[in-house]
Amino acid sequence: MAATAALAPAAEISENKVVKPQWKAAIDFKWIRDNKEDVAVNIKNRNSNANLELVLELYDKMLNLQKEVEGLRGERNNVANKMKGKLEPSERQKLVEEGKNLKEALTTLEEDLINLRDELQLEAQCIPNMTHPDVPIGGEDNSKLRNMVGSPRKFDFPVKDHLQIGKELDLIDFDAAAEVSGSKFYYLKNEAVMLEMALINWTLTEVMKRGFTPLITPEVVRSSVVEKCGFQPRGENTQVYSIEDSDQCLIGTAEIPVGGIHMDSIVAESSLPIKYVAFSHCFRTEAGAAGTASRGLYRVHQFSKVEMFILCKQEESDMYHEELIKIEEDLFSSLGLHYKTLDMATGDLGAPAYRKFDVEAWMPGLERYGEISSASNCTDYQSRRLGIRYRPSESPSTTSKKGKTNQAATKFVHTLNATACAVPRMLVCLLENFQQEDGSVIVPDALRPFMGGIEAIYPKSR
Amino acid sequence: MATIPISSSSSRFIFRTLPKTLNHALFSRHTPSKAPPFSVLIRALSAQAAAAAPAPAAEISDNKVVKPQWKAAIDFKWIRDNKEDVAVNIKNRNSNANLELVLELYDKMLNLQKEVEGLRGERNNVANKMKGKLEPSERQKLVEQGKNLKEALTTLEEDLINLRDELQLEAQCIPNMTHPDVPIGGEDNSKLRNMVGSPRKFDFPVKDHLQIGKELDLIDFDAAAEVSGSKFYYLKNEAVMLEMALINWTLTEVMKRGFTPLITPEVVRSSVVEKCGFQPRGENTQVYSIEDSDQCLIGTAEIPVGGIHMDSIVAESSLPIKYVAFSHCFRTEAGAAGTASRGLYRVHQFSKVEMFILCKQEESDMYHDELIKIEEDLFSSLGLHYKTLDMATGDLGAPAYRKFDVEAWMPGLERYGEISSASNCTDYQSRRLGIRYRPSESPSTTSKKGKTNQAATKFVHTLNATACAVPRMLVCLLENFQQEDGSVIVPDPLRPFMGGIEAIYPKST
Repeated sequence: MAATAALAPAAEISENKVVKPQWKAAIDFKWIRDNKEDVAVNIKNRNSNANLELVLELYDKMLNLQKEVEGLRGERNNVANKMKGKLEPSERQKLVEEGKNLKEALTTLEEDLINLRDELQLEAQCIPNMTHPDVPIGGEDNSKLRNMVGSPRKFDFPVKDHLQIGKELDLIDFDAAAEVSGSKFYYLKNEAVMLEMALINWTLTEVMKRGFTPLITPEVVRSSVVEKCGFQPRGENTQVYSIEDSDQCLIGTAEIPVGGIHMDSIVAESSLPIKYVAFSHCFRTEAGAAGTASRGLYRVHQFSKVEMFILCKQEESDMYHEELIKIEEDLFSSLGLHYKTLDMATGDLGAPAYRKFDVEAWMPGLERYGEISSASNCTDYQSRRLGIRYRPSESPSTTSKKGKTNQAATKFVHTLNATACAVPRMLVCLLENFQQEDGSVIVPDALRPFMGGIEAIYPKSR
Repeated sequence: MATIPISSSSSRFIFRTLPKTLNHALFSRHTPSKAPPFSVLIRALSAQAAAAAPAPAAEISDNKVVKPQWKAAIDFKWIRDNKEDVAVNIKNRNSNANLELVLELYDKMLNLQKEVEGLRGERNNVANKMKGKLEPSERQKLVEQGKNLKEALTTLEEDLINLRDELQLEAQCIPNMTHPDVPIGGEDNSKLRNMVGSPRKFDFPVKDHLQIGKELDLIDFDAAAEVSGSKFYYLKNEAVMLEMALINWTLTEVMKRGFTPLITPEVVRSSVVEKCGFQPRGENTQVYSIEDSDQCLIGTAEIPVGGIHMDSIVAESSLPIKYVAFSHCFRTEAGAAGTASRGLYRVHQFSKVEMFILCKQEESDMYHDELIKIEEDLFSSLGLHYKTLDMATGDLGAPAYRKFDVEAWMPGLERYGEISSASNCTDYQSRRLGIRYRPSESPSTTSKKGKTNQAATKFVHTLNATACAVPRMLVCLLENFQQEDGSVIVPDPLRPFMGGIEAIYPKST
């Protein structure tokens, strides 16, 4: 999801050809105006196409137009009030005339105001999230090393890549899937099935121990939810599969249906943080991806993933970001992987991310590090679009959807998401790192109880 | 040999009548004039419950002749030689297949084929004659003759292609034959094969799974309705563990019985869906299609598994091939409504473990019994009360030669609900998927599109059976094992797969 181009918001063309946004983000225009230098620098650092000047211009116009409209409304009320008293017929007639003119002018201006607000919304939705001050500025190469665990294993025999191992141990079939489904689809067979189930079960168990509520989510969602999370279902080179004759899409990550759970609601502050660990299949078109970075299980159209998601108070998101990356590192260390954790540079952040940590694990068959997980702090970018707020707990309140109470002003939650386990990339790591000279693959200790005690995958005699 | 008339031959006549019958074939059929009976809708799991003949996919080519996108290896000669039995079968299954037309087209095709062969023979004669020494006038005559023959041949060959295409489209609609023991009639004629257990007697008010799911914070339909639409849901807390336990336990149990485990793609080409006997593009289709693509979402792992050995010849020694496949399944459930759709009973997305067997022709009845036995063992192990039915002809989908359904008692719904289906499709799917085996008098190896001059190949028989459809199992477990205090007991076999949990308890909030 590293696309840095500004989001093209979904919009519908209404009958009079004004483009209306399908949904509205609760953007803080005043804050943007009051911090426009910082916002401009941020947009530049992230290579975003957002047009800040236009946003500020439209905002200004909108404020003025709003004043005009309020002014006209005031005048119209005056006229209406005057008409309540005793009047000469000629006076009354003059007032009626005035009222009519005011009404027409008001109608026009109100329509203009609506159009202006819509255009402002569409432009402003393109503005990416702000950036944590510690994030390095620049392209991917500027990403900063946070942590390195282990070192590349030294092999004293020729190293095979996961595709060859998968073939020899009858674990993966890409050929049959190419006929049945197309390229970048695959069947898992035999012990690879048990390995996938073990990875999912073990990961769910480990993360649940840390207080996360387990979920299994829908994999078909409305496209508006996809957009509110910061993805572009209908952009060129979109990653998103759409369902024919429907406004629905397939999810590329459980982050989307989980983000949607508390859409348009106010949660009690006492319920925060809300921590979910969600299992789902994920579907990605991988349009635009090609070359050696696409080989085998490294880049596929469908895969299983366990995802962590946190909703929390604003002041706590940095802390939970640290917690999430720590959980990921614990998991990968437990499996015996050699990996490095990176603080991704501004050019590599997607629009929603305030800060993003990627973990890249050593893949000896590919002879390089490959991304196995990503942990993002999206602060209030997604919650302003999904409409997820909390009420600070001076006053007792309860969780309610669209609740209306006259109490302390609500704030937007901060949301974070992090990959606990992306199965195909884990399979690449396990097969390539734990291969033995005799062609077998050792199963890491942590997974053995979840595989009926199997200690290794052996070549099968025919 | 008499000269062949070029125009106004019987073959021309055939060609002219074709477009009319083609229109008839495509547009007057297969949009069922009546909705399927309500009770049939309950059998959503056995997605082949639609008794209407499948409408084959066809493309309109440039010259507006409808061509089938793929061809089934249909045994026309057998159909002709057994036409009374085929006709009775079509009637018993309420199929719209037009047997008369198929036989007529087949006959015409055979005749046309003879004509074409005759013309080819004559053309060869002419060509041979022209090799020798000839008078110029004789040569000219032969050249003229050869030219006429070539034109006539081209026309007839084109007619033959069109005829074959139409024959294929019509014949694809003919449903599979039926096992002689299958009861004839509608759903009510289905025969009881087995009954295990009896409905539990409750001494407290029984809740349905939706209420239990809400009270124990296990299922959320409301949030999913906002995010995805109706009939979608989130599983939470112990329900997640229950789903994982069901899948893991089922895979383990079936693997013990010699089945190879698989995890399959859930996006497949629509042609594969059709070859398995489903209709991705029919009205009220169960199938989700992907935009700007010829791909669909699977409604069952039967489809990607059936496709694994597409267009290949397997060694007889490798049979039977037994797979147990885990996948998510997606179904539009278009046309389903009412109380038979409540909660987890009918949903758009669910997890399922499916068994699939490819075997020799003479062994499919035996493996059908094996599959239903495995299913019954699984459900008995979980402590469910259920009955097994031999489904009547009116309830068989086009591919099924015979189908056993298992219906389990669901006290919250106060009725039996289908939890699994086991079908013997004999060679219906394999003739479409192109899966054959070579009897092993001669040594041979597995090969895709292998060409060897050995014993004639035969079509495998395929069978499929539900080992575990998770949402319906959740309905059964939650409703049958609920306790008065609001908790739900976890069946023994699942406990080791749930970290030892013995019951799901109400949570203090």
